[in-house]
Amino acid sequence: MASMLAQHGVKRARQSPEALKAQKDKETAKLQEYLVLTDDIFTKKKSSDWSRPAFDLTTRLLNMNAELYTVWNYRRNILTNGIFPASTPEEINGMLSEDLDMTMVFLRKRPKVYWIWNHRRWCLEHVPDGPVDDTNGWRQAYWLKELSVIGKMLDADSRNFLAWDYRRYVLASMPNPPPEANELAYTTQKIESNFSNFSAWHQRSKIYTRLWADQLDHQTTKDEEFELVKQAMYVDPNDQSAWIYHRWLIGPGDEKVVLDREISVIQELLTVEPDSKWCLESLVHYKLLLVNKHGEKLTSDRQQLLDDCRRMLRKLKGIDPQRARRYDELESKCTASS
Amino acid sequence: MSNVLLTDLHVSYIQSLDNHQDDLAYHLTSHLRLNGVYWGLTALCVMNRQDALPRDDMIEFVMSCWDHEAGGFGAHPEHDAHILPTLSAIQILAIQNALDRLDVERVTKYILSLQNPSGSFSGDFFGETDTRFTYCAVSALSLIGKLGLLDVEKTVAHIRKCRNFDGGFGSSPGAESHAGQVFVCCAALAIMDRLDEVNYDMLAWWLAERQLPNGGLNGRPEKLEDVCYSFWVLSALSILNKLPWIDSDMLISFILSAQDPEGGGIADRPGDMVDVFHTVFGVAGLSLLGYPQLRDLDPVYCMPADVIERLGLRKGWKALDRKTK
Ligand SMILES: [Zn+2]
Repeated sequence: MASMLAQHGVKRARQSPEALKAQKDKETAKLQEYLVLTDDIFTKKKSSDWSRPAFDLTTRLLNMNAELYTVWNYRRNILTNGIFPASTPEEINGMLSEDLDMTMVFLRKRPKVYWIWNHRRWCLEHVPDGPVDDTNGWRQAYWLKELSVIGKMLDADSRNFLAWDYRRYVLASMPNPPPEANELAYTTQKIESNFSNFSAWHQRSKIYTRLWADQLDHQTTKDEEFELVKQAMYVDPNDQSAWIYHRWLIGPGDEKVVLDREISVIQELLTVEPDSKWCLESLVHYKLLLVNKHGEKLTSDRQQLLDDCRRMLRKLKGIDPQRARRYDELESKCTASS
Repeated sequence: MSNVLLTDLHVSYIQSLDNHQDDLAYHLTSHLRLNGVYWGLTALCVMNRQDALPRDDMIEFVMSCWDHEAGGFGAHPEHDAHILPTLSAIQILAIQNALDRLDVERVTKYILSLQNPSGSFSGDFFGETDTRFTYCAVSALSLIGKLGLLDVEKTVAHIRKCRNFDGGFGSSPGAESHAGQVFVCCAALAIMDRLDEVNYDMLAWWLAERQLPNGGLNGRPEKLEDVCYSFWVLSALSILNKLPWIDSDMLISFILSAQDPEGGGIADRPGDMVDVFHTVFGVAGLSLLGYPQLRDLDPVYCMPADVIERLGLRKGWKALDRKTK
């Protein structure tokens, strides 16, 4: 496949000239079919052919190449301009349902192709009103099904960011969305099965940002959150997901009590893992927050905190030489504030 | 495995890309053809071999991708206009000093028509939105001297909504930070002179932590390294003036180890199949890291730095000094 323009994770293999020729011969018929079909479709598209046979041709071509965005566009134009105006809501619903099934088959093979996800969104956004007594009925049923489909995709690859994006989109689009507590439970489950799933931590930060903005007292839930991160830090202190999330929980460090408590939690972990980069790096950040945010409440130990940071930064340079220049810059900041 | 850049091999690899017209794979990638031409041309420019592909044929090919109805470029003759190939077309014409071939009024109108009331940009009339498309719009408009027609406040407001607690940016509001998205948002903000929207310390830290023990860079926490992130992470770091925060020698070695020493080209990882996408982002990364004898690359536009200077669009980024050997 020397002529692919962009690809990931395909092992390089040298094929013998014979093997190459055999492969090419095998491909010739398929290539011929592909070229004839493409030609046919682009001719029909040019003449604004919005018929059912043209629609069926796009199905065939997209089966050969699901990345032809122009053909997806043409397919949608056939539906909106040619087929839908002559169909009942039931028929439209049926066609959209078939297209959703088709994209699902494609996505199983190519979960990272944007164009397939786009077509899925388009289908869902064009579901007609259902029967009179339940106009949102069809829509709600589709969205519920989407949620379970996307759950399966995330089971297969829990870091697929297109799937996470799509999950957020589904939740935002449902006529009757589930309560946020459900989504929180979902991320808890994802995190507990793998603490290094940063996508799930990220999702959590979004949910809590909304929940905490509406709640006056969120100290309890926040403390529980610190407890969860602590577990993650102890399970694998080298995993950066939990540490980045922890930094978000601390934020600007306005609460000195929390800052003091978390510093001692990390200090304790450091006694077990004396060379942990993330322990040291976080301690430097939080101790500098103490100095900069709560300097007036610190009396004699301000200088000691800064010395401590400088000592840790020198140690970090040895443990993590790739980022030595960053530690140098932080060290000179410490010197400037002392 | 090689520890020097195999320039001649890469040049002949890029020249050979169009010789595969009897391969099925060649035709299966037609939706990326114009992007591919831009990647190949930029890679050649960085290696100081711009003339290795014939200029006039290239310009004619670009013009054959023009979609008269929409007023933008498709990825291939007869394909629908989309903002991604539209940017590629403008970049190629700018590099080839042929922007006079462009119907500037129409393409400006097309690009501006893709902005939504929220400030986001769609890729085409079907409406998918992504911060990548915001970058395409901002970069393209500035290259053709029409940035003044953009509602900058509205555009920046949308990018702000895509910023996350880790300092990075996602593809849409709520989406996880990703190095590719960090590049497009930082570069778009740089072009609009709105880097005040960036949380420098947090983002530079996040970017520096993309480097893995083997020297390669990943695009998100706890993911694998990949040559294409060399450009996206490095570009953002040069815009923030923090390139020294990673180990450049280790990254140079990683990129070089992903070359195909027999057929030329660079892959996502050592031992994988090469492609022109990873080849351009590999050499682009090497240029920013000061690898000897390469042409300077502008990390904001991902185009030769002298082209951007000629257009008067240079921003305040900083790459590493060019090494002599
Ligand atoms: Zn890649």
